[in-house]
Order: sequence, then C-alpha cells, then structure tokens
Amino acid sequence: MTTLIEARAAKPRRKPVGHAMLIGGAVAALAVGAALPWIVPTKIAMSLLAQAMFDALLATSVGFLILQNGRTSFGQAAFFGLGGYTIGVLVARQWVAPELALLAALILPTAVAFLLGLVISRITGVAHAMLTLAVGQAFYEVVFRWRELAKGDDGMSFDLPARVFGFSARKLQDPAFMLVLSWTILVLVLVGLVLFTRSRVGQVAAAIRDNEERARFLGYSTVMPPALVYAIAAFIAATAGILQACYNGYIAPQMFHWSTSGFALIMAIIGGAKFIFGPAIGAIVLFYIKDFAGQFAEYWPAIVGGILVVVTLTMPRGVVGLALLLWRRGTGR
Amino acid sequence: MLIQILNGIVYGGLLYLLAVGLVLIFGLREVVNFAHGALFMIGAYIGFSIAAMGYWWSGLLVSVFAMALVGCALDAAVFSTLRKHDHIVTVLVTFGILLILETVVTKVWGKAYLTYPVPPLLAGTVSIGGSPFPIYRLFVIAVSVAVAVSLSLWLRYTRTGLYIRAASTDARVTSMQGINVDRLSLIVVGLGTALAGLSGVVAGPLLSLSPTMGNYILIDSFIVVVIGGLGSFAGAFIAALLIGQIHNFGAVYLPWAATVLPFMLMVGILIWRPTGFAGSRT
Repeated sequence: MTTLIEARAAKPRRKPVGHAMLIGGAVAALAVGAALPWIVPTKIAMSLLAQAMFDALLATSVGFLILQNGRTSFGQAAFFGLGGYTIGVLVARQWVAPELALLAALILPTAVAFLLGLVISRITGVAHAMLTLAVGQAFYEVVFRWRELAKGDDGMSFDLPARVFGFSARKLQDPAFMLVLSWTILVLVLVGLVLFTRSRVGQVAAAIRDNEERARFLGYSTVMPPALVYAIAAFIAATAGILQACYNGYIAPQMFHWSTSGFALIMAIIGGAKFIFGPAIGAIVLFYIKDFAGQFAEYWPAIVGGILVVVTLTMPRGVVGLALLLWRRGTGR
Repeated sequence: MLIQILNGIVYGGLLYLLAVGLVLIFGLREVVNFAHGALFMIGAYIGFSIAAMGYWWSGLLVSVFAMALVGCALDAAVFSTLRKHDHIVTVLVTFGILLILETVVTKVWGKAYLTYPVPPLLAGTVSIGGSPFPIYRLFVIAVSVAVAVSLSLWLRYTRTGLYIRAASTDARVTSMQGINVDRLSLIVVGLGTALAGLSGVVAGPLLSLSPTMGNYILIDSFIVVVIGGLGSFAGAFIAALLIGQIHNFGAVYLPWAATVLPFMLMVGILIWRPTGFAGSRT
C-alpha cells in the first residue's frame, strides 16, 4: 500500500535546508511579492491572483494536516468559513472594534479546531475524512438556515470600517494591495510551518503520525501535538477566510461547503501534500490551468476532476514531487 | 404520527439502497465511492428521460441496467487499478469522477429543476389511520424492503453470496482460496451502482431533479455507512432506518436543528466507537 505520507526509515535523511537559506529564500519571495503589482499586467489579473493566494492558503492548511498529522480533512472549509463569518458578522454589526473582530476571527476557529482536534485525532483514514466532512457540513447547514445571523442562503455583504490599526481599511479591497498582502502572509505562513516541523513539538507530531503507539511508549503525550497541528491548520484556513471576506466584502454559506474543502484538498494533492510548499504551488498551478481553460470554463469541474484522477494515479507525490524527481535525475544526484 | 414514521421509512429506504451499494463496493474494493451520488443522479435523469416519453417502467429498467453497465466499466477501468493505493487516494479519484459526471449531467440535461412524473398505476392515495398517504410512497417502501430481503437471502444462502461475504472480510485471503475476486468485484460493483440507479429512479418523483440532487443524499448515506460501520450490511440497514426517522422527526419537531442532527449523531457515535456500531474497520 502506498500512503500519501510514506514512512521511510531506512533511507538516510537529506540534510535540511539551513536557516540562512530559508531566511534568504523568504526575503527573496517577499521582494518578489512587493514587486508583483508591477509584474502583473492588469487589475483583473491581480484580483484573480489574489483569489489564488486565498486558495493557496486554504490548500496549505489542508496539506499541512496531511503532512504533519497524516489525516485527510474533507471539512477544512469549516475554519475558512468560520474566520470569514466571524469578521463579517462582527464588522457588519459593529459590536466590537474592527481590530478586536480580527482577533476574534483568528482565535475562534483556532480554538474550535484545537478542541475538536483533541477528540478527532484519534480517528483515522476514511472515518476521519467522513467525520470532518460532517463537521464542515454541520456548520454549512447552520449558516444556511440561520437567516438572522447573516441572511442565510443569500449571503451578506458588509462595509469595511474606515480605519483598521490606523490604516485605511479601503486598501483591503484594492487588488494590488491585497495581492501583496496575501502573498506576504502566504510566505510568512510557509516559513512558519517549516520552522514548526523542525521544532520539538513538530517532530513529536510527526512521530505520532508515523506510529502513535511507539510515541506514547517513548513517553510523549500523544494528544496535545496533533491537536496543536489542527489548531495551526485552522488558523491558516481562518486567515484565508478573513482575507477573502474582507476583499470581497461578502460572506456566503458556500465558504463552508464541502466542495470548498474538496477543491482545497485537490489543490494540495495536485501540488504534492508531502511538501510544505506543495499545496500552495498546486493552487497556483490550478489557477493557471483555469486561466488557460478560459473558453471551456463551463467544463471546469470536469477538467479539474480529470486532472485529479490522472495526478493521483500517476504522480502520487504531486507536481512538486515530479519536479524534484526530474531535477534530481537532471543533476545526477 | 404513523404517517410521520412511514415518511421516515421512505427516506430511510432510499438511504438504504444507496448505503448498501456503498457498503458492497467498499467491502470488495475498499473504495469509498464519492461518485455514488452522481450515479444516483444519472440514474434518475436516464429514468426521467424515458418516463417523459410515457414509458415509466421501461425507464426504471433501462436506468438500472445502464447503471449496472457503468458500474462494471468503472470497476474494470478504475477501481481494479486502485487496489495498490491508500483509501484516501481512492476517495480523491472517485471525487474526480464525481466532478466529471456532474458536468456531464449539467451539459446534457441543464441546470433547471425537473419534475419526475409518478407512474399512473401508482398515482393517488390510500387512507392510513384516517390520513391520506400517497400510494407511490408505499411503493418506495416495498422496493427497499424487497431489495433488503432478497439481498440478505442472496448473501446468506448462495455460493456467490458466501464468496462476497468472505471477500468483504478479507479480499486477499479470499483470493488465496482460489476465488476470482476481480470477477466477484465486477458483479458487486455493478450491483452497487445498479442499486444507485434504482434508488435514483424511485427517488425521482419524491425529490426534484437537479445536478446537485446527488450531493445531499450522498452525504446522508455516508453518514449511514459510517454510523453502521464500514463494510457492515446489517449496520447499514439499521442506520438507514435510524437516519430516516431522525431526518423526518427532526424536520417536524426540531426544524432549526433537523439538518444538523445526523451529523451530531455521527460525531457522537464515532467518538464512542471509531468503527461505527457494527463495523470492525476504520
């Protein structure tokens, strides 16, 4: 049986990229991000690319759960939607200051995921996929029916406050600014995840993923690290949800829907869930394929479905895995 | 009250027809078939197209046979190659198939809601406990009971049934005993998808036809399969009846919570018993 995460004990590990290179890469990526408004030709392209960044963040969240916990979630949209809805509802009602709303929109999904993670990390495989699917759909049904919250099915648009943290919040709906912001957040998230996987708790979580019983036998708590991974993944998904809600000034139950989770999972798999950067790259690859598909847009789900079938059957490590393989062959290592 | 229970059994019966197909396919191929809802939907659309010409019963037969063929093709082309892969990979592949089939349905029949007619033979109502009850709904109950009874007799008393039960417990050991599991799978997957088609046709007049009609009932039947225990036929039967009743009583007495109740039940049961109440697998 091949699994998405292959436990290879025998092969000596490649020396991980050093901190200096990581920081160098991050600085370079941030510089590229800052230059994006001049690289990307039109406002529409910028807007679409910003949307791809939200997708990339959500896909990263799903992929991180696979990479670090070995659990496939079909309901990560729950935290994406929860982040978006928390900020949308709080800002629209003006119950609290926008800064507090932002804080709440980050903390609430993270806390929910942590508590949920304490329980559902015990469950593996297909049952886990079904369970997360059910949790996500339960949220969907609640916001769909609860018209008083945010107009249920119709979704709700809301106006951003004038100022957030002393800056003009209107900028959040400017494609160029949003593109740079979401790119920057994505880079920081990816660097943060690399650092997490190298940290002590990250290593313990990986050990639990590979063999829970042995990790427990070695004296580690096998409950907290996976729950922490759920919380971090939800934090990333919530960030994506907040960015999208602010950018569109609109929230709708679709944010919670299982197809949102499903597409994020597809991006993660196509990119390569074995790599921290894989899901984000998968999101960007899909974005460009969608751009190419342009005139066949009505067949888009079928195209994605076809790609998904081919990728999962022929390159289980995704685009990044394939690229790495080719590169290693090319350099003869 | 009696009417409510009967309505619950109608929905439970439809869920059973879908869930038992999922259980059959999972048992032999270890594939969680996300495309099952799409097959249900295509079954309904095929039946509808023929019923619209005035041949309701032919529609039923053609749809069931067509879906059986689709199932055999799926098994030969896709599921048989998935054996080497992890469960989650197979889930993703069937998810891809679902997206393709949904697009096909949207292209062929459009996005509009369509109304499936009730056959003239089964139109009208009967009085049960003083309240009118559509004859068609009794027919749906009869179909699911007939399927449940004949399926369990077939699995229990025939040689093929014995092989299928053996292969559902452990496909590898069964094939070591000299049983052709691939051929068995062809039959079983074909049967599973045929039941999806049957379910689609009999559900047609109760639900309205749309390209998303498969999603909602698919998730409910997943809940049934998981609650009943992956790979358990009896578990699926009981869980389908249970979810049918919850669905219906929830809609009447707790409308604000009705759609969330099955999810809550599933979360609760999985936390209590990660394998579901009659299953031994995860």
